[in-house]
Amino acid sequence: MSELFVALTPANLLACFVGTVLGTIVGVLPGLGPAGAMALVLPLTIKLGPTAGLIMLAGIYYGAMYGGSTTSILVNVPGEAASVVTTIDGYRLARKGRAGAALAVAAIASFVAGTFSVVALQLAAPLVARAALAFGPAEYFAFALLGLVLLANLTGGSRAKSLAMVLVGLMLSTVGMDPLGGTVRFTFDLAGAQAGLSFIAVTTGLFGVAEVLASMAEPLAAAAVARVKFRELYPSREELRRSVPPMLRGTVLGFLVGLVPGPAATIASFVSYGVEKKVSKHRAELGTGAIEGVAGPEAANNAAAGGGMIPLLSLGLPFTPSTAVLLSGMLLMSVTPGPFLLRDHPGVFWGVIGSFYVGNVMLLLLNLPLVGLFARVATIPQQYLMPAVLVLCAVAAYSDNNNIFDVWVMTAAGIAGWAMRALDWSPAPLVLGLVLGPVLERSLLQALTIARGEVSGLWASGPALVMLAAALITFVVPGLAALKGHAS
Amino acid sequence: MGRERWSAVGLALLALGYLLAARRYPLDTLATPGPGVVPLLAGVALLAVAIWLCVTSGRVGATRISNRPPTARAELADPATTIRAGLADPATTKPAMLAVALVLYAALLPRLGFIVSSFALIVLAARLMGARGWWRPAALALGVAGAGYWLFARWLGVPLP
Repeated sequence: MSELFVALTPANLLACFVGTVLGTIVGVLPGLGPAGAMALVLPLTIKLGPTAGLIMLAGIYYGAMYGGSTTSILVNVPGEAASVVTTIDGYRLARKGRAGAALAVAAIASFVAGTFSVVALQLAAPLVARAALAFGPAEYFAFALLGLVLLANLTGGSRAKSLAMVLVGLMLSTVGMDPLGGTVRFTFDLAGAQAGLSFIAVTTGLFGVAEVLASMAEPLAAAAVARVKFRELYPSREELRRSVPPMLRGTVLGFLVGLVPGPAATIASFVSYGVEKKVSKHRAELGTGAIEGVAGPEAANNAAAGGGMIPLLSLGLPFTPSTAVLLSGMLLMSVTPGPFLLRDHPGVFWGVIGSFYVGNVMLLLLNLPLVGLFARVATIPQQYLMPAVLVLCAVAAYSDNNNIFDVWVMTAAGIAGWAMRALDWSPAPLVLGLVLGPVLERSLLQALTIARGEVSGLWASGPALVMLAAALITFVVPGLAALKGHAS
Repeated sequence: MGRERWSAVGLALLALGYLLAARRYPLDTLATPGPGVVPLLAGVALLAVAIWLCVTSGRVGATRISNRPPTARAELADPATTIRAGLADPATTKPAMLAVALVLYAALLPRLGFIVSSFALIVLAARLMGARGWWRPAALALGVAGAGYWLFARWLGVPLP
């Protein structure tokens, strides 16, 4: 626990500062999301070492959640999907002349929720990790399968399309050496493919290059940003009083939603807004510029980001593209997240958690006085920003294995990602299929071997049975409902 | 045939190609499963989902098409018209041109080196995205390629080509 203070060393504080600033800028910029940005700076973080490197990556992750609200409120352009719902009331508040108050409440709500989720993470992650020590291959297989099925259900849009993308990701994960026997598969004699498809190359392609290509199809005009003076950043007593209940509701809801696979931060913000529309005393004002419409969703998306760290840190299973990049970064730094992380690398575990506390304070201090500066980032013309992103993507992909094959993978993933966007296919399930594929394959084959070929060995233990039953119900029930709908 | 169904057909073909390629990996027994087990399961599952999507998107597509005006229906029914419209649309041509430039970039990176190929890519991308003149894109390209080389090759020790 004393390792929490690892985050306070000058090097780690600097890493946290750089990460949170970069994250805020990424959050402010429409287009490039936290997963793509984290993949871009991965080569840089490896140089910093595991603790400082992961602190910087984590800083980008939660900094983006903070920054996303700024442009939502000031220019009606959400920087992040998780801040889409904030535009509804945030922008209307800005038009009423209450932009400063909305920004302050968004920052305070983010701080409260971020701090709550870190406390919960600090308490829950070691407990989950300890419980997970009893997990064998069958339980890991059941959990990964449940995660992927839930993901397919929650990603939004068509469930079958999400499932198809998970399966494509799973198929891509089989390229290279098989996780148990060492057989080289699907490489078609390409030497660069023997180690498998680089996760960084695929991520930078799907989330970076594809974003640049998509921005060419629908160029965004440089935003006109309203100036907010520092003295205007004070919410009135009434606004603060009204913000507290939605902030607390959003925090708890967001944290719980964050534990579930899928785009948790986005879902959490919409769920919070929906709850406010039902239970808020001022629900009639929602949609017309109510402070509750900012406080609830902004708390929820930050709490969800913290919740999403629990499966990653304690089980080694990432359920969002951003935590998948974090996992990739950990593996590149020879740190394996999961039940043994706390035992083997306590400095990294507590250092990252400690950095969340520091990062939350830093973000609050940065976001309020520098809000005007961050908002101006959104005015950088895309024709100068996006070409630079392209080259950074190529460097990030190349430096994963110092291999030109990975630049080809990035290019192919970028073009495929652009086509997928045009055809309304989400790339997130593909990325998670790719990252969870080896876990799923290894645990399935190990479980079958342990059970001497008895398929029932997959559900022989209580936890595995419960998780497989939940996966089956989650998969079958909506499918039956869809069939019924088609029949009628 | 609508876009959804075309996508589903593409996925089905991908699954079939993958299953064909997976035939060379042994399945062995359930007690000692081989490297072909998971590829077989994943390929069959994707094929099943693709067929499901093909069947259901037909119904949805038919409903959507029948609700459109007759001219829109005719356009959707004629793939040549759709392709011609797509080729003439700047929303498709510009990203397609940049995609070609990226393929050239990947091909030329080992031959021309990082600085020259990145310079060319940035200038081209900036111009395609609407930057006016040559000086600003060239200055941006020089700055990003130079700073990128210094940061990654010199400072971080990445052996950039």
